Amino acid sequence: MDHTADDIASAPLPTPATLRARSSLLVQLERFLAINLKMAKIIRKEHH
Amino acid sequence: MARVVVLGGGIAGHTAALHLSRMLKRSDEVVVVTPNSNWNWIPSNIWVGVGKMKTEQVTFALGPIYKRRGIGYEQALATAIHPEGDATHDSPFVELTYTDPSRSGEHGELTYDYLINATGPKLNFGATPGLGPDGHSHSVCTSGHAVEASAALRDSIARMKRGERQTLVVGMGHGTCTCEGAAFEYAFNVEHEVRQAGVRDLADIVYLTNEYELGDFGVGGLTFTQQGFQTTSKLWTESLFRERGIRAVTGAHVTAVEEGAVHYEQLDGTFNSLAFDFAMLLPPFRGVDLKAFDRQGDDIGAELFAPNGFMKVDADYTAKPFEEWRAEDWPRTYQVPRFPNIFAVGIAFAPPHQISEPRKSSNGTVIAPSPPRTGMPSGIMGKLAATNVAAMIEQGDAVRVRSASMADMGAACVASAGSGLRHGSAASMTMYPVVPDLQKYPGTGRSLKDTFGEIGLAGHWIKLALHYMFIYKAKARPGWHLIPE
Repeated sequence: MDHTADDIASAPLPTPATLRARSSLLVQLERFLAINLKMAKIIRKEHH
Repeated sequence: MARVVVLGGGIAGHTAALHLSRMLKRSDEVVVVTPNSNWNWIPSNIWVGVGKMKTEQVTFALGPIYKRRGIGYEQALATAIHPEGDATHDSPFVELTYTDPSRSGEHGELTYDYLINATGPKLNFGATPGLGPDGHSHSVCTSGHAVEASAALRDSIARMKRGERQTLVVGMGHGTCTCEGAAFEYAFNVEHEVRQAGVRDLADIVYLTNEYELGDFGVGGLTFTQQGFQTTSKLWTESLFRERGIRAVTGAHVTAVEEGAVHYEQLDGTFNSLAFDFAMLLPPFRGVDLKAFDRQGDDIGAELFAPNGFMKVDADYTAKPFEEWRAEDWPRTYQVPRFPNIFAVGIAFAPPHQISEPRKSSNGTVIAPSPPRTGMPSGIMGKLAATNVAAMIEQGDAVRVRSASMADMGAACVASAGSGLRHGSAASMTMYPVVPDLQKYPGTGRSLKDTFGEIGLAGHWIKLALHYMFIYKAKARPGWHLIPE
């Protein structure tokens, strides 16, 4: 029995504030830098 | 003087060739054998497939780059390896069939001292009747396929604009497919395009996947911390499906595709069908059709290649149950045990087993994502092979070579969920390591500090930046080698 449809239907929906943050230029500029730092950390692990 | 032959000009092979061109002496030789004349930044084929990019933006000609870097280039298909030479060759060599239009079909031979097999996958559309551009569904595996998918999607959108309802199915065309992330990206980019076109209410978008549950991505899913709690990629992905109104069918093995309908079996043993107006279903991969012979001319393919056609390297291929899988099963140097001057990297090496827990339907059909080994891991393996070959040439074959197991390797992935500098979005993810190590990281198998996921516009900017950065690097522009894999 595939429960995926039920799982999707009961998954948490983002709040309007979360959705705004996901597309806010100011917030996303900060996230751009933060995510790049996280990725750089993974890359540094490979190269040392 | 040594000659290094690189089979394949994709991410792993091209990376290896470029690094070799700067690591080796002028007296050494690097030759790339690839049937393609163009390099393709495959991650951006997603955007070609929805009409946001043109083929010219994701491909470029390899010939001029190799000429500038002093790399030999044979536009040909490698058909056989002779690792011991033969009665007329003292050195090992590969057999080629030229695809270069000026020599098309011509047979050739190329001796080597070191061989890097980075042949990538054979797109095995034939595994599912009716699958693929020659059948009844589309693909985004090559830029040409993506152009065709884009045209068909435009046609569906035009029909919706005339008031017709359309069912758009995106996903995996076989129970053992890999690259679920790419299908996920395409599904969300299609949804984004349909919404931008103002016809979202007329589109039923279905994601059809062999994953046991959403968010598996062929790596057994991810666990990461968010606001003080551990959460999973399953919950996170389901939330995105709910938010964007995309239906999903999981644990599915597509058995056949016919005009306007896809037939599939699910893990619960049921057989179902889904009618569609547009379908993009990725094919399963297998190794390319490469043979291998010993000095006497006897076929040693079974020793060098796994049954799926991928090359066996320094992994533990002993068959064992999921519970007994260990990080140490995964290869470290990607050398062929009997022939340490042969490396297989990227998709070309045979993984010891899946990463996700393999499952069978109640009818015995294997429905299990194959392990992904594209993108960042492919580039890292390509550079590793180049570094080791260069060291072996300089210091002799007894040199201690470097290692880079996928069980000790991280990956940064950005899955596009819609294109646009202002309205785009993407899921940014990192995982460390790619292959879970339950001994080192009890519980989840991965470092919670280094595994994370986040959705937002910033992810789109990162994916776009990676597009330009990696094409710059692949074109070997000034400072290219400073850009990490």
